[in-house]
Amino acid sequence: MQIEVKFYSLFKINLKSSGVKYDIVETITLLELIDKLDKDFEGYFSEKLLEDGDIKTGSIILLNGINVLHINHLETEINDGDIVTLFPPSAGG
Amino acid sequence: MKDYLQRQFEIFTEEENNKIEKMNVMVAGAGGLGTNQAQQLIRMGINKIYLYDHDKVELSNLNRQIFYGKDDIGKNKVDIAKKQLDKFDLDTEIVAIHETIDENIELPDDIDLVFDALDNFNTRFILEELSYSSKIPFIHGGIESWFGQVLVIKPEETIRLKDVFSGVENSGKTPPVMSPAVSIIASIQVLEGIKVYLQKESYLKNKLLIVDLESCEIQKVDLKNT
Repeated sequence: MQIEVKFYSLFKINLKSSGVKYDIVETITLLELIDKLDKDFEGYFSEKLLEDGDIKTGSIILLNGINVLHINHLETEINDGDIVTLFPPSAGG
Repeated sequence: MKDYLQRQFEIFTEEENNKIEKMNVMVAGAGGLGTNQAQQLIRMGINKIYLYDHDKVELSNLNRQIFYGKDDIGKNKVDIAKKQLDKFDLDTEIVAIHETIDENIELPDDIDLVFDALDNFNTRFILEELSYSSKIPFIHGGIESWFGQVLVIKPEETIRLKDVFSGVENSGKTPPVMSPAVSIIASIQVLEGIKVYLQKESYLKNKLLIVDLESCEIQKVDLKNT
């Protein structure tokens, strides 16, 4: 089973990577995915995405094009073939 | 047909050309995105722009807000913007509205589109809700540093702004912005708005456009309803 994580905007520039693919043996939660990402990117994602046990305001996490806040926050389940998109939205005008 | 539009006639059908000249829009903000959008919209030959902003020109605006110079500091943005646009004499009516956008505003009753030229998500959510209630498409754009995004909300056809951007609140920090990047996002918004208005199927339907001008890459992210 494989999942794909895509980084955009500042995440991509800061990490010098447009994303990663992980092989998983069973369904994982978003929190478990962030833990995996932290191991590969020196804690970058828990700093950017987590606050007080939930998702920090200011960054977008999409699972197959749906904001995970509309699914199950950090407990959102990620399965084979899923695509997770991570980016900080641009607010200015 | 407006005589100065001859170089773009061939891009559209005769019916589309006629329709563009009847297009009325709201440009919500006369800052970086809004001044660029207004400039592009009058060059497209549309009929009317309602330009909203409650602010006055400040020194920090001048790196990207294309209608203002140092002599304009302290003056109402919409008044200066209207003066500049009227000077071109291109037959687009400019209605300058010096008003704060909040839950209490009433959208003009003859607009076809709302262009997001705001600088924060809290106000964007309010205006998108007002547009949605009136069944008017809302063309979102945001810009920060080298990056930006564009999203089209077409009532009853696409996802909503909050479907994608839930959880984003005003951070209190002022995002860094520069003119060339602002112009690109504003131009894409205008192009998407024209497509939506002309009912072209090629618009960004349920896709988020993420623009990375540092890497010179534009990506479309597929979106789904919750």
